[in-house]
Amino acid sequence: MAKTVIIDPISRIEGHLAVRVEIESKAVKNAYCSGEMFRGFEVILKGRDPLDAQQITQRICGVCPVSHGIASVLAQDMAYRASVPSNGKLARNLILGANYIQSHLTHFYHLSALDFIDIQAITGYLGKDPALNELKDWVKVQISSGQVYPGAPFLPRYLGGYVKSSDLNITAIKHYLEAFDFRSMAQRAGAIFCGKLPHAASLVPGGVTEKIDSQKILAYRTLMQQIRTFIVQAYLPDVMAVAASFPEYFRMGKGCGNFLAFGVFREPSGSQNTFFPSGTLVDGRLTPFNPDFIREYTQYSLFSSPTGLEPSKGESQPDPKKQGAYSWIKAPRYNGQVMEVGPLARILVSLADGKNQTIVREINNFLKDTGQKPENMVSVMGRHAARAIECKLVADQCLEWVEQLIPGRSAFTDFEIPESTEGIGLTEAPRGALGHWLQIRDKKISRYQCVVPTTWNCSPRDDQGVPGPVEQALVGTPVSDDRNPLEATRVVRSFDPCIACAVH
Amino acid sequence: MISRREFLDYSARLALMLGLGTSAVPRISEALELLSSEAPPVLWLQGQSCSGCSVSFMNTDAPGPAAMLLRYLSLKFHSTLSTATGDVGMDIVHSTIERGGFYLVVEGAMPVGMPEACKMGHEPMTDLVARAAARAKAVVSVGTCAAYGGIPSAQNNPTGAMGVPEHLKRLNISTTMVRIPGCPAHPDWTVGTLVHIIKFGMPELDNELRPKLFYSKLIHERCHRFADYERENFAKQFSDDGCLFKLGCVGTNTYADCTLRFWNSRTNSCIPSGGPCIGCASEQFASKASFPFYRKTESANKKEDNRS
Repeated sequence: MAKTVIIDPISRIEGHLAVRVEIESKAVKNAYCSGEMFRGFEVILKGRDPLDAQQITQRICGVCPVSHGIASVLAQDMAYRASVPSNGKLARNLILGANYIQSHLTHFYHLSALDFIDIQAITGYLGKDPALNELKDWVKVQISSGQVYPGAPFLPRYLGGYVKSSDLNITAIKHYLEAFDFRSMAQRAGAIFCGKLPHAASLVPGGVTEKIDSQKILAYRTLMQQIRTFIVQAYLPDVMAVAASFPEYFRMGKGCGNFLAFGVFREPSGSQNTFFPSGTLVDGRLTPFNPDFIREYTQYSLFSSPTGLEPSKGESQPDPKKQGAYSWIKAPRYNGQVMEVGPLARILVSLADGKNQTIVREINNFLKDTGQKPENMVSVMGRHAARAIECKLVADQCLEWVEQLIPGRSAFTDFEIPESTEGIGLTEAPRGALGHWLQIRDKKISRYQCVVPTTWNCSPRDDQGVPGPVEQALVGTPVSDDRNPLEATRVVRSFDPCIACAVH
Repeated sequence: MISRREFLDYSARLALMLGLGTSAVPRISEALELLSSEAPPVLWLQGQSCSGCSVSFMNTDAPGPAAMLLRYLSLKFHSTLSTATGDVGMDIVHSTIERGGFYLVVEGAMPVGMPEACKMGHEPMTDLVARAAARAKAVVSVGTCAAYGGIPSAQNNPTGAMGVPEHLKRLNISTTMVRIPGCPAHPDWTVGTLVHIIKFGMPELDNELRPKLFYSKLIHERCHRFADYERENFAKQFSDDGCLFKLGCVGTNTYADCTLRFWNSRTNSCIPSGGPCIGCASEQFASKASFPFYRKTESANKKEDNRS
């Protein structure tokens, strides 16, 4: 007999996600992901001035607002035939890159690490680090305080197998605390070129409004170098150490095994090439990405709009009481296939593509250092590793792009908005492939559709009844104690879900 | 533990942030000591939010987020930071509410017209927030969505979204309330208001329940491009120097201290980066399609009219 366990809410992700798993013989037999929050951005955007879009869509997500801003200005660049000067493209990459790093550091340390690291190990700390001693004293005082649930938000947690090495635990806890500063430093770096974060002020079609000068270049470079040092000396080694402690997670949470990447970080030259290439991997075969193959299905989603629409014709009419539906998330499919998106998809597509040797080298180094095979990357640990590898690549790249800025030269070219037009903005958020489809009539938005990374990853079943990537990844996951489904939450968090994005 | 000197340094920075001057330092130190010994419980709930106000809160630098969590408040539950998941998480939420005496922070709007549009632990957030608010010492609505409804409640409002104070008022819940609007709320506004409430009681509020400390002056009044406005030196297109008023800047009727305080540890702000103020801290933010953020389209239209 299968036992149903509902994990609601899944904390330490963005937003409102509930996961229902059916457990039989100590393993997940069936899984259902429910996005539990809807705002209706696409309905709200209808009838508005098109320039409102890059500001409004950034508010879809406070973790990756820049990606929505970029998708929106790319759609508008296309719709207005706006040309973006080199400084503008570089500045966009620098803002986006800084936001990637912020997102990845937050995800590993503040959202995921405590699934593996034993926070209670701090009570045995004997060293002299003031921050760690403060945490140790705090935990002791908390535990003796007689409060309800002492130690929140760090305790309680699921019981289960955590890291045993006290050295690794202490090092990772120290980095958990330090990562607060570095993620915040990444936001400062981004804000140099976009006014503020979250929710950037300077992104517009035609480039950015920020002026480029040498002080800003130097300030960005200085911050980014410090952040890069943390990525190289803390983040990557910590991921490898956690991976070495949990090698079984290189074989768990495989999922659908198909990958989709739209490509991201446009080259500053005139080409449409991106640093991370676009492409799809189905059964390990790389094929070029074609946006015409995307459809969104809604049989199990809380919408009354027709199912199977392409995004350029998409609709989002809510139907909160719809029979049989169990999520606010739609089910996007590519050529009918379930696809995983995210850092792992970007890394695997880059590896298969093979043109960018910098990326290939970085992945191969990781595989050599950890003794893993490329196919083991399709796993819980592979997703964490891909994120960390990517984080270093992005930091390196930002340090190159910032040197290419030319002080005093414009980062913006003016444009005019036609009466009627269309545009598509394809990019990648930290969590994966992101697209905005824009249609303008009488200079107003007549249709706006977003297909967002977690829409792919946390999608419910499609009209054929095929489960989404996270649902598939959960199946087969061993759960040793159904009151403490720690293993299942590790699988879910490896995707870095963002429900505000997924539903919008 | 931190040294006495470090502690006083924090206090001084916090006093400065709150605009209280150095004479307030001893009282602030006392407040912080009280916070670390009897850390008051805080329950942070998310309605229809983007988590941007939480991300912004994590950008706090004096004190930093780790210090905030360890010294200044006892964050019972926050869905982005808590280790507790699922039933354990909900049990913390329920037992905190039952005990009472906590401060409730809400981020995100309330989908009053469609309660299914936001749920946690099988319960509509509109009910959970009402239940918690009734037993809280004070309700702090962080960000424009919680304060006024924000973008979820903008024209077309498909979920019947509204701000937290409005939702609670309809239910006759009379707990003390404060609004910290902003999209997102600046970390100093959130941290400064929480510390003030906990030690000194409610800060002085204006008639919209905003702390006067942060919201008493217009963006425009303290804008470094104010002289450009006076000289009628207006930017004509994005990225131009000069006052951004004619590109749609609404710093002239938005109350907040961004132009003085700046964002991300005083790195930059919207207007200095060439972005017109879009009024993200005001009740009207994004509310009407007929009032766009930028006036680019209008000027382009005029250009075409002149040509014809």
